[in-house]
Amino acid sequence: MSEFLIHLATLAGIYALMSLGLSVQAGMSGLLNFGHIAFAGIGAYAAAIAAQAGWPAAAGIAAGMAGAALLGLAMARLGRQLGADYWGIATLALAEIVRLAATNEGWLTGGAQGISPVDSALAGLPGVWDSAGFLLCSAAGVAAGLCLARRIGGGRLGRALRLMREEPQLAACLGYDLTALKTRAMVLGACMTACGGALLAYYTRFVGPDYLTAAETFLIWTMVVLGGLGSHAGAVLGALLVQAIHAAVPFLRDALGAGSDVAGALRLGLVGLLLLACLLWRPQGLLPEKPGRVR
Amino acid sequence: MKILLSMEGVAKSFGGNHVLQGVDAAVREGEIVGLLGPNGSGKSTLLNLATGFARLDRGAIRMDGARIDALPTHRIIERGIARTFQLPSMPTRMSVLEVAMSASLSHHGFWATLLRPPAARAAEADARRRAGALLDELLLARVRDLPASALSGGQKKLLGIACALMRRPRLLMLDEPTAGVHPGLRGEIAAVLRRLRDEGMTLVVVEHDMAFVREVCTRCVVLDRGRVAADCRPDELAGHPRVLEAYLGQSAAAPHREAA
Repeated sequence: MSEFLIHLATLAGIYALMSLGLSVQAGMSGLLNFGHIAFAGIGAYAAAIAAQAGWPAAAGIAAGMAGAALLGLAMARLGRQLGADYWGIATLALAEIVRLAATNEGWLTGGAQGISPVDSALAGLPGVWDSAGFLLCSAAGVAAGLCLARRIGGGRLGRALRLMREEPQLAACLGYDLTALKTRAMVLGACMTACGGALLAYYTRFVGPDYLTAAETFLIWTMVVLGGLGSHAGAVLGALLVQAIHAAVPFLRDALGAGSDVAGALRLGLVGLLLLACLLWRPQGLLPEKPGRVR
Repeated sequence: MKILLSMEGVAKSFGGNHVLQGVDAAVREGEIVGLLGPNGSGKSTLLNLATGFARLDRGAIRMDGARIDALPTHRIIERGIARTFQLPSMPTRMSVLEVAMSASLSHHGFWATLLRPPAARAAEADARRRAGALLDELLLARVRDLPASALSGGQKKLLGIACALMRRPRLLMLDEPTAGVHPGLRGEIAAVLRRLRDEGMTLVVVEHDMAFVREVCTRCVVLDRGRVAADCRPDELAGHPRVLEAYLGQSAAAPHREAA
């Protein structure tokens, strides 16, 4: 049982890093990024390719963050020409391009089969320490990500980003370069998400294009919206909740006596129900953003 | 006095609507220029063109002699222009004090926010002090911790002015600062504007309230159907035939002129 809980907490932590990245972009800065999973994908593939080349895990994570930051820059650059809604569609398209490239550039990415096994960052540790060590890494990543997001959010950059989110015209009028602000939010969120993606690759020892579907992006959106758009702690709570539901599905299926084919539908249905309930009865999220703090 | 902002043959149309049809005007240092005209005469469009929120079709706009009409808004603001909006809209999840403080731009980069070096902390403290003082002066001290969107229309205007003043602009353009503001507050705003001019600021005020214009402005530019109809002192407005025509229509202008 403890092994199972450690597994659940590790996965929740990894997804919390990705939802924190989206929280910085969509929650704090109002950027409708529908291609978020591409950042995690670049982080995961970079970690896997680096592991194959024999690089240490830190270098793999750094390479993933650098690659994701470049994609973040490209997305922010698109925002210069496009309105918010069209930009959202463009991010979706960019993420699809990344997924198709991962599927077809087999020499680099292993094609549809992906890359497996990815040498674990903590390989060589005996027994339970392997998984406990990963839990520690994942928890440290979330703690660092949360501190970083809150530090930025509570400071002068966070204030500028929130002003851009709510009143872009006023922000421009006060002299803010909105493109530069968007770039900072995109790159910061991309780096955090890529870090989560790299950890996921090391943890599951596998990376493949199936990770990179738009459905994964919307799963991360669900986490952020559940917790409260604009609240970083909420994004972490949302990731925990969604992962808990995913973990509970096999038990529920057994209790219902249903076949294994029902599990996927049950998972989607439960997450969807939770999201719907949240939107209807608590649209501000479980841990709403607190307005108006000046520290 | 030195010319700060100049417009040369500025033309702008939206679809088939020729809002501005060759406007020539200039603002000199230390003036308070009233920009007047009936609804739809192009006053707000002129402000939008001068601050990069719209692009002109023909002509040129210069600040300190250098063209600014192709620059993005933040580059224009950098040159010392600030403005307010006719119907300001304010954030729902930021307090009044936060909005005013966000008008202080220095040290808002990623590393400065993360590491908060002494210079960034000093800038934050300075922004807080100045925002507090400005909110005091504009009678917003009582509501400084409320969400900015919860303010009344008049209070939002005052907050817009506070934000603009936080920028310490050389040229401040106000779009109808007194419309929707409590009459008792108009005197306050007029006093603030005059004090700003005494401190060396130049102002452009779009306004419909003639009493306010006469009280505050040093010169008036009247727009009518996209052209400058009059450029005169405020006390000359009442007898100016083209002004009366612009506001009252041609037929009404003649008898009114005799009465004046």
